Amino acid sequence: MTITDRRAREEDRPASRLRTGLLAVGTLAVLVPLVFAVLMALKTDRQAASGSGFDLPSPLELGNFRTAWELTDFPRAFAVSLLISVVAVAGQLIVSSLAAYAIARNWDRRLFRWSYFYLLAAMFIPFPVVALPQVKLTSMVGLDNPLGVAVLHILFGISFNILLYTAFLRSIPYELEESARIDGCSTWQTFWKLIFPLLAPMNATVGIFAFLMSWNDFMMPSMIIGDPSMQTIPVVQKIFQLKFSSNYNVAFASYLMAMAPTLLAYLFAQRWVMSGVTRGAIK
Amino acid sequence: MRSSTMSRHRPSRRTVLRIGGALAGAAAGGAVLSGYVSSAEGRTRVRFLQNKPEAVPYFRRLVDRFNAAQSEFFVVHDSTPAPLVPQFVRGTPPDLGCYNYNLETSNFLARGALSDLGKLPEASRIDDRIQDLVGQYARYGSETSVLPYSATAAGVIYNKALFEQADVAVPTTWSELLRACRTFRARGIVPIVQTYKDTWTISQGLFDYVTGSALDVTGFFARLKEQGADAGPGAEVSFGAEFRDAAEKMVALGKYTNRDAASRSYYDGNVAFARGQAAMYLQGPWALGEVEKINPELRLGTFAMPATEDPKDVKVRVNLDLALWVPDASRQPEGARAFLRHLMRQHVMDAYNAEFVGWSTTKNAPPVADERVEGLQPYLDSGRFFQGAGTYLPGAIPHDNYLQKLVTGGSAEAFLNRLDEDWARYAQRNL
Repeated sequence: MTITDRRAREEDRPASRLRTGLLAVGTLAVLVPLVFAVLMALKTDRQAASGSGFDLPSPLELGNFRTAWELTDFPRAFAVSLLISVVAVAGQLIVSSLAAYAIARNWDRRLFRWSYFYLLAAMFIPFPVVALPQVKLTSMVGLDNPLGVAVLHILFGISFNILLYTAFLRSIPYELEESARIDGCSTWQTFWKLIFPLLAPMNATVGIFAFLMSWNDFMMPSMIIGDPSMQTIPVVQKIFQLKFSSNYNVAFASYLMAMAPTLLAYLFAQRWVMSGVTRGAIK
Repeated sequence: MRSSTMSRHRPSRRTVLRIGGALAGAAAGGAVLSGYVSSAEGRTRVRFLQNKPEAVPYFRRLVDRFNAAQSEFFVVHDSTPAPLVPQFVRGTPPDLGCYNYNLETSNFLARGALSDLGKLPEASRIDDRIQDLVGQYARYGSETSVLPYSATAAGVIYNKALFEQADVAVPTTWSELLRACRTFRARGIVPIVQTYKDTWTISQGLFDYVTGSALDVTGFFARLKEQGADAGPGAEVSFGAEFRDAAEKMVALGKYTNRDAASRSYYDGNVAFARGQAAMYLQGPWALGEVEKINPELRLGTFAMPATEDPKDVKVRVNLDLALWVPDASRQPEGARAFLRHLMRQHVMDAYNAEFVGWSTTKNAPPVADERVEGLQPYLDSGRFFQGAGTYLPGAIPHDNYLQKLVTGGSAEAFLNRLDEDWARYAQRNL
């Protein structure tokens, strides 16, 4: 190690300490609630009702997970939630990118321009405002099931997604498409072979938003899904939110189980998630 | 609608066919699934909605027993906490509801969405004074479309050991209550634990108890509704004219509370009371289980809160914890009624109420055996009970927030004025 190296490091020290400190605080902000959840999930009824949240569980109660599993019929609710999320994510990616492509490349035509504003205007209509008509409508066309919820997620996502996609599409040079045309691509092929892969960062952003919205949503499935045995995780978990009695231990066991897949997915896909989020932020 | 959106994107015919096929496939899949459930054992399927979480396992056992005992109907227990309105809007309400009866549920009754059960022999077994509670929120002609199943009576829970230590008897008048509070305070014991952070506890406890014994709440709201849109601060029937005494008493009682009441929640209240930190607690029997979970050794009792100098004025707050109804749109009214009659058998009702500290709603029901609430029995027997004033106020009047302001230093005058103004606004639109 040379002298200059050491000096450079010493000069950096206060700044890097500050940075480490900030990062540590940030880490705590994430870890503390998680620790709380894990500790709570392992407590007995009595300890959960009386002690402070951060006391170590004694005795250890693993039965909470089983109780939560049975109370919520976890595997079924999980499968339904997953189905809705997968369909909603895939649907939003495909439908919104197709629509945005059509709009961005036909910007000179009035119909497309207006349809863009028309679709954007939907951002001002939140779901609760149109909830009851949607309930009636979905039941009339036989969509009062998880599929209907997924379809509604796709539709309600369109306006924001199109905003993101069209902005991004404008930055893709038209010359690329011209070259594809010269090589004999149809519009359909140009989109799938050229544009859609180029949209990858925006796909990640839209996909993440779509997943979070549909996985965590409570209101839409609770109102739209008619068959109680087809309810999603957030809805069946409401059974733990009591007014008069607390069983935090079972509730947190259930929340941990519901969180597990998202955490796992995040651990594996961390890199893409981060890049997707930052791209979305810049646009 | 769908075709016009499609034509804008101009997909090929094959794509349209594919999308259509996918949709049809999904629909068929759903149909097969639901068909599988409904044909369970080839019986008529009856959807029974009951989602009071504590009682879910209890009712699940009842459902299983009913399904095993006969072969005509198959009752499916739905305990999903999904909202009711969409189910009615969709035209697929539950076949039989076993639900908390409150102002919100009474909307279905008021609009005639529930069928008349008055002809059932079970309806005539219900105590008239309890059946009247249903009509106090809403009526639909002369129909009896909601049958009370379990009533919950709430009073002041007290710590017997602390009362004995301080040599305080259960108060029967307002001045005795204040004297008891002063005695406890002098001995360094918090007289009443309050949890103002959870606003519903102020409405349920302080507001409902004091108003219920200080005036005729049932009669007041009947007259108030009759008065219709002429309501307001200066009207003949108004909160300002009739609630003044009660509101001032609430403020007076608010002095004898724990100092940190403003930042305490319902759960904190349970813990503080269970640890013997206060002598009285304004909560219903639902809190007993919580307190017991924390400290099983505590000896508890319940008395009805007095608010005047005449012990005869004392009344008890009740609510219909569970009530049964069959919607008009039910597809299986026969099955629903069959299961309703199964649930309404006397020993089944009594067993439920014994387990969940409730009162059976029938005539000649047995008294409660639980010594923690038996202090309320005389009031139930003599019909001295009311539904809390707070429960008559629709969600559009955020009275529990106003109450929070009142107990944390507001004036009774401003509080009552606010209630009158809000009620006037509500009445002009709805009455």
